[in-house]
Amino acid sequence: MSFRQKRIWTAGLALHFFLVLSFSLQDFAATVSSAATPSTTKVEIFLERLESIASTGLGQHLSVDNPFRQFITAYGDCTGIEAGYSYFAPAVPGNSKLGFELHYPDGRVDYDIPVVAGAAAGYRLATLLDHLRTVHYVRLREALLQTLVKSIHREHPDAVLIRAVFGVAELTTPAEYDAGKRTSYRALYVYDFRFRPATRSHTPGPKE
Amino acid sequence: MNAALAGFWKFLFPRDSGRWVELLRIGLGLQLIIYTWSLRRDWRELFGTSGPLLVNRALAEAVLGGASFFTPRIGWLVSLGKSFGISEGATLLLLWLSLFSLGVLFLIGWSKRLTAIAAWFLYVCTAKSGTLFSYGIDNFTIIGLFYVMIAPFPGPRTSPERLGFHRRVLQLHLCIIYFFGGLSKCLGAEWWNGTSIWRALTRPPFDLIPPDLLIRFEFLFPFLGIAVCLLETSYPIFIWLGKTRAIWLSGILLIHLSIGLTMGLHLFALIMIVLNLAAFGPEFFPDRLVVSGRRWLARRHSISRQETR
Repeated sequence: MSFRQKRIWTAGLALHFFLVLSFSLQDFAATVSSAATPSTTKVEIFLERLESIASTGLGQHLSVDNPFRQFITAYGDCTGIEAGYSYFAPAVPGNSKLGFELHYPDGRVDYDIPVVAGAAAGYRLATLLDHLRTVHYVRLREALLQTLVKSIHREHPDAVLIRAVFGVAELTTPAEYDAGKRTSYRALYVYDFRFRPATRSHTPGPKE
Repeated sequence: MNAALAGFWKFLFPRDSGRWVELLRIGLGLQLIIYTWSLRRDWRELFGTSGPLLVNRALAEAVLGGASFFTPRIGWLVSLGKSFGISEGATLLLLWLSLFSLGVLFLIGWSKRLTAIAAWFLYVCTAKSGTLFSYGIDNFTIIGLFYVMIAPFPGPRTSPERLGFHRRVLQLHLCIIYFFGGLSKCLGAEWWNGTSIWRALTRPPFDLIPPDLLIRFEFLFPFLGIAVCLLETSYPIFIWLGKTRAIWLSGILLIHLSIGLTMGLHLFALIMIVLNLAAFGPEFFPDRLVVSGRRWLARRHSISRQETR
């Protein structure tokens, strides 16, 4: 292997790890600053600055259609480095849950949850629900819930109203469990989707 | 200064037999097979745009498209299929079959470079089109597939230094992964008092062990939480030292094995074990095992050739 080749590979490595570190730092700063950890103002400022520096390195201050930003994003996606590594940190978050309340024309009320056939897809469904919690763009959250509601409506075509209740678990500590407390769920969003059996149209009406 | 520079080049380009690439290839082959097989019943529901769906793929791809037009996605394959008169359902089935077959080809080592490129591309397509369902396992599988795609495969004309360089890249990347993973855990008090271990094990859908049984081992949680924090954060130091490498590698492998067994995240555990073994494990596999494995494969190959004649 010639020295020239070595230098080319090293330059590639430097660029690659610059991006790996930038994505990791951005995720680290975002995770730590968003968590409910006791942090001083200085730490908060430091984390904000860290996140800002990392975002600048990743071209995220540029417009979305900027070719440089587009390329960096695609590179991150294609190399699997865009996510960061702070899973279950600094604390394990409560899982999310989605339940459906099905209302029929005769006044009957039924309940259902989204289901998949295999366990592997079950883990992915749990991930989807966790993503739903972090989606702050209301239209996207509505669109996601709408498709989930549609899948339930296919199984229950007679339902005229489907109420989607999205909640998050409040996990216990070992001491609380010992004392008899169990995992409970707190509702975050409630959405009503109305269906007209003849036309199958629906009108989402969020209740937050 | 010159000695430091020489040391730098020597560190970055060590001579390597390339056994790590083969380990990574075999591990990723297994990963692809299990991944596709485990999603076989939900494939269309996860990646379709019509029929029984959980979430419309078009929505996920719209989110993806907003971030980058260049990221590969299933929509490209579906459009390509349509230009040949192939329906979306058939394209999705072909995609599933291709990924499964590529896993098998990876495992047996047939046309390694082509298999690596195709597997990487198709996996990125599925992971990114399913970005709303995507979790750590997809990122780590893409990392593995990307490195196996750009790394040379061992052969008579392959430079041992290039093989060593690509292994260094994987090793350094794992150090970054564990350092940031460990550091962000260290900042949470719940990892130090063991609450996070309890919560990780009782959080649906990872609650495979009944809490009533788990609570009996409450005294172990703080120890396990601290062990996870320390093993991960100090990984970039102790994995390089000859005396501690075996301990740190075993510890990390044990963590991932436990995650697989107690939380049901088998695929996540497998990919992390594969990446760690490929990066820091080849030296721990006795040569005798590898040689006898090769002999066994060669014997099988000659028997099957005789049978076909």
